[in-house]
Amino acid sequence: MLISHRDNNTQRIAALDEQAEALRLKRGMGIADARAMYPSVEVVEAEPAADRSLLESLADWCDRYTPLVAIEGADGLFLDISGCAHLFGGERPMLDDVLARLFQQGFHARAGLASTPGAAWAAARFLGAGIVAPGKEDQLLAPLPLTALRIEPAVRVSLESVGLRTAGAVMSAPRAPLARRFGKQLLIRLDQARGQIEEAISPRLPVPALSVERQPVEPIVLTEDIKALTGLLAETLRKDLERRGEGARILQLTLFRVDGAVCRIVIGTSRPMREPSLIGRLFQEKLAAIESDIDAGYGFELVRLSALAVADFEMEQADLAGGAEGNDEALAVFADRVRARLGEQAVLKPVAVESHIPERSIVMVPFAEVSERNDRERGPVPGPADRPLRLFRHPEPVEVAATEVPEGPPLHFRWRRVLHKVARSEGPERIAPEWWHEGKDMPTRDYFRVEDGDGRRYWLYRQGLYGASQEAPRWFMHGIFA
Amino acid sequence: MASNVVAQAAVFALRRKIAKIEGTLPEKLVAAGVAILHPSGSAWAEAGASGFLHTGVARLDNVLGGGVPAAALTEIHGGEMRDAGAVTGFALALASLSRNREPDREKRFLVLWIGMSQAFAETGFPHAPGLGALTGLAPDEIIIAQAPKLTDALWIAEEAARLRELSAVFLEIHGNPVRLDLTATRRLHRRAQLAGRPVFLLRQAARAEPTAAPLRLVVSPAPATARSTLTGPLADTIGCPAFTVTVSKSRTALPGQFILEWNPHERAFQERQPENSRPVVSAPAVRPDISPAAGAVVAFKSARPAAAVAHQPSRQQHPAHRGARRTG
Repeated sequence: MLISHRDNNTQRIAALDEQAEALRLKRGMGIADARAMYPSVEVVEAEPAADRSLLESLADWCDRYTPLVAIEGADGLFLDISGCAHLFGGERPMLDDVLARLFQQGFHARAGLASTPGAAWAAARFLGAGIVAPGKEDQLLAPLPLTALRIEPAVRVSLESVGLRTAGAVMSAPRAPLARRFGKQLLIRLDQARGQIEEAISPRLPVPALSVERQPVEPIVLTEDIKALTGLLAETLRKDLERRGEGARILQLTLFRVDGAVCRIVIGTSRPMREPSLIGRLFQEKLAAIESDIDAGYGFELVRLSALAVADFEMEQADLAGGAEGNDEALAVFADRVRARLGEQAVLKPVAVESHIPERSIVMVPFAEVSERNDRERGPVPGPADRPLRLFRHPEPVEVAATEVPEGPPLHFRWRRVLHKVARSEGPERIAPEWWHEGKDMPTRDYFRVEDGDGRRYWLYRQGLYGASQEAPRWFMHGIFA
Repeated sequence: MASNVVAQAAVFALRRKIAKIEGTLPEKLVAAGVAILHPSGSAWAEAGASGFLHTGVARLDNVLGGGVPAAALTEIHGGEMRDAGAVTGFALALASLSRNREPDREKRFLVLWIGMSQAFAETGFPHAPGLGALTGLAPDEIIIAQAPKLTDALWIAEEAARLRELSAVFLEIHGNPVRLDLTATRRLHRRAQLAGRPVFLLRQAARAEPTAAPLRLVVSPAPATARSTLTGPLADTIGCPAFTVTVSKSRTALPGQFILEWNPHERAFQERQPENSRPVVSAPAVRPDISPAAGAVVAFKSARPAAAVAHQPSRQQHPAHRGARRTG
């Protein structure tokens, strides 16, 4: 079994299984050569995208061990387990647990554990399930080939050409000539592996400020159980939030399925929140909305609740009657619940913007973001009074056969296939385009308020002027009045 | 004095008891000019002294038995999609009436508008400056919720109807969906009653069907009058928005059709007076009979012979159909 990939217009072997290796086939060999030697080999095209997504789902799964998981290259994962090992009984049990679980899932994995990412990388690839004690990095690296240093192939080849074939040889060589001849990268990699320079791994996901988790005795399947467990986790989370004087703004519920799939549910809140019952209700809405998307399979074995974003929590004193009048907490909770169920764009508030183009004068902002701005002092929007009650987001073209005077209102117009006779009209109100946004070529608009025979009032505009350009002006319906 | 008050309270209590036995609705008592004491439920107490939004138009208020209920579900129908502007405007105007009766002016006025995404695309998105021009609502007094499906819209409405922070809730539904049945409207109505807030069910292009709402008004646009200036109406202008409101269902079961004008500056309704409406039928060119002169008719002795007078009927003998024609 061979995996082939296209490299420089040739199909080459990208990966191969043990049987193929036993036939003395190698990586990088041409597929044509391999077929010539063994006509019966099976060749499969490589799928880098699928490999990548598999690696990402594995990285998700590894979130159970530490929040700091990074993807390394095409086939590796970095786990920063600083401060996490004791949760799994120490470094060796943790390493065994990772390998055992991966083996159960059908992966052949190699792992190394060291105090620097570079040493762990080398240990995983060349030692196999090895733990490198702090300070022993040099001993580990010395006998290893140059590939263990994570350097460019070109640099490796030129190092080998001068006779430096092991990492130990490079380490014992004088540094200055090495840097001059082979570049800074080589020494940086070397120092990183030996722990002389700090190397940070960049985690795939933001690290939550607070996170609590619970491992049920048996995998849970029912939505009710998830809800109950969320309530318990929220209870624990509240203590931490209270200690820090904060409330959660974004909460994430992570469900780890038995077979390695990970499901993340994120909710946002309009104001910092720590009340477990409210958090439970928000997740309830979200779970109700996406119930069909969650596949419990054989059950979830680990449930984690993390606060991705926190903010200062303002303590408010309730009055003696027990009702907290004047604050919009109930409203904020209502908006959060609607948002949890129907998405970010479900509850909107209009915000006036400085623009005289009608459709741009108001932007709809999600409710949660408006309360952040907290600009409640503003009064009614100043501006012209004759604005329609309902505005079409995209002005709808209307057919206008004739106007009495070229610059005047239409006599009849056809909108949505119905002919309307204009009884009376007011206008025009000329609205020029914003030349500082869209250039000088945009046509101006002349707006007319017109009333048809039945008393319906519309807002029509003519785009462009007669004789100003080659094409005739067009008419649009932009809104309706009361 | 004290005994007088006690006596009055006793009379009121008795009247309520009698009304209850007779099955008379509180609206009818109000219509009859009898002040009644409301059950001391919190919602009723909070809904204000009367529990009604007075439209300010005496005839309409009488027909509705006091006004539009302030703590109930109210249906406002529009016959066609094109009437969405009139339906929207009328409902908003009604809601803004409740702002005037709010005892605590400092309290925020907040309306929630629930609609469905596709429907907003078809009838237009509520435009805050337009809402402000009509009813004086500031942009931060408006919340808009859009739902992808009817069930979601109903869920939002039910959740919102119980909130006391909201001054009014509008639920906009198109057509006659099956899900909007007696049960769904009953749930909305009950929550509105408990919260003491009006919930307006705007139904575009819908026909009347049984719902739990005690009041159904059918609104269609009416031609506006010209803008009035100090020197008189300004020709060829479009003045205050006007609506034709038909009471299709109410607890008093009195029929009525009104042409109302909404004055956005005074924020008040006004029934259109006959003289400032355009004549529906053109005035006759020749008017055969002239209305009688005022005052008593005194018989003079005729100078001509009596026989000439005999074939002319006297004024008292005028046939009934030729009597003074009522104007208007």
